[in-house]
Amino acid sequence: MKELNEQDKATMEIAKLRSRIGKIILLFVVILAIKQVSPNNFFSWQNDFVSQNIAVVLDEQFVYEPIFFDSLDIKDGLHIPSGMIADTGVAEVVQNCGACHSLDLVKQNKATREGWKEKIVWMQQTQKLWDLGMQEDIILTYLAKNYGPENSGRRKNLENIEWYRL
Amino acid sequence: MSNKNSSRRKFITKSALAAFATMLGSKIVFGENMPEGVAPIGLEDIGSGDVVPGKSKELIVLGNQPWNAETPPHLLDDEITPADLFFVRNNGLPPEKFDLEKWTLTIDGESANQSKTFTLKELYTTFKHYTYNITIECAGNGRAEFNPSASGQQWQLGAVGCCKWTGVRLKDVLNAVGVKNDAVYIGYYGADLHLSKDPTKVVISRGVSIKKAMEDETLLAWGMNDTTIPIMNGYPLRLVCGGWPASVSGKWLTRISVRNKVHDGEKMLGQAYRMPKYPVQPGAIVPDEDFEIIESLPIKSLITYPKTGALVTKGNSLVVKGHAWAGDLSVSAVHVSIDFGVTWKLCELSDAVNRFAWQRFTSKIELPEKGYYEIWARATDSNGKSQPMVIPGWNPKGYLNNACHRIAVKQM
Repeated sequence: MKELNEQDKATMEIAKLRSRIGKIILLFVVILAIKQVSPNNFFSWQNDFVSQNIAVVLDEQFVYEPIFFDSLDIKDGLHIPSGMIADTGVAEVVQNCGACHSLDLVKQNKATREGWKEKIVWMQQTQKLWDLGMQEDIILTYLAKNYGPENSGRRKNLENIEWYRL
Repeated sequence: MSNKNSSRRKFITKSALAAFATMLGSKIVFGENMPEGVAPIGLEDIGSGDVVPGKSKELIVLGNQPWNAETPPHLLDDEITPADLFFVRNNGLPPEKFDLEKWTLTIDGESANQSKTFTLKELYTTFKHYTYNITIECAGNGRAEFNPSASGQQWQLGAVGCCKWTGVRLKDVLNAVGVKNDAVYIGYYGADLHLSKDPTKVVISRGVSIKKAMEDETLLAWGMNDTTIPIMNGYPLRLVCGGWPASVSGKWLTRISVRNKVHDGEKMLGQAYRMPKYPVQPGAIVPDEDFEIIESLPIKSLITYPKTGALVTKGNSLVVKGHAWAGDLSVSAVHVSIDFGVTWKLCELSDAVNRFAWQRFTSKIELPEKGYYEIWARATDSNGKSQPMVIPGWNPKGYLNNACHRIAVKQM
């Protein structure tokens, strides 16, 4: 009888542990679900290729870690669904910048980190862009690195000429 | 253009034409050539895709939210730019529903004698109609060439076109309403929606001095190239004001305020459509108070024939054609060079059919020997100012690049 009780206790402890783990997993799912429908990323097409990093949600220090994106979407260094250069931060740019305007507007521009920061501040002051929070740093790093200035001199050579017989 | 949507186009065309005819009188002819893909009653998804609704697939699309697209120079060879080739510069989202019976234009403001609202039919039947060929160019056309890069839509060469615009003179309408002596400026408002989808936010509200507004060629236009204006270009009513940045020619027009001060609407202030008052070093940070509003655009030209990349056989001469335009002024001469600006040849130049119409230049050139050439075109305005061969004064927002156009050719 006593031994059985010991066994029961052990079984109950395991059950409790399982229940706790279940609750924690449930919590993860709920947090994840909330994150998925939050205003910044309500575009369902983005969720097709963006998977959230659960560790970010759980970390009490909340050190921001970049959003993963599916490596199958990368071809020739480009993130194919968005056409942007595939690098850490591309998902944040797609989610935040692409929410209001065409990403072509980002792609065709070139600026330093300070230049990109200025554009963000301008959009926040006049165009209803939200606070980018912890994502701002990674967005600026991505933009300055991949869409940074280039020196084209006083005038470039004519490029991309398609020759044809007149 | 393909005809894949021709049956639906016919349906749309008929109903659009019928609506206009009912509304605006039997004489009306526009409405019959509504381009393929345009649905005036909101059938199109206007926020996606890589061909602008109602526009040629040949346009170079800079973005689809908002839609911005420019014309390759060789497709601008027509005297009157075809509607489906005319560039698109949107700041917000065009309206999706158009009820022509309910569409109105209100004239108001501190310097208007009264606030008065006109239906389209009233505008059409009350005032005399005028038609002009008017060149419209985005002030940021050519921005892509600035170094360091200037922020904004990276227009290359083709944010310009010259269409045949029909409407009533703004001055006739303003005079009918009554304008006070202290009037300084007009400011327009349109029916487009801000990208944030906030209906209370004004997308763009610019304007011109009262003097410019009162010019004969400043129109409230409903017609473009003898038909209605494409939705992307401001259907059913827009301002057309030649010589100044295209952004003063407000689209989907609903209101014009007569102001007793320089209009302070969206994109009138700060650095928008403004240049530094003095030349600045490339990359300089310029305080807002040192900017001034851009008015007349500088002298410019485009080579529209041949298309860049032509391989020419030895012994054949080459005809070069294009257009030149000069803001509020006229074009007095165009020269072309085949030796990187060492020598210049004077072109034949036609007169403008009316003020603000672009002027045709042509020249026959001989390439002396086998090799790579660039043909450069350089126009001069009626004040003697010419286009620079390198990129002109850098400015933070990248406006007014009127550097001469270059095309590449080879003699085989």
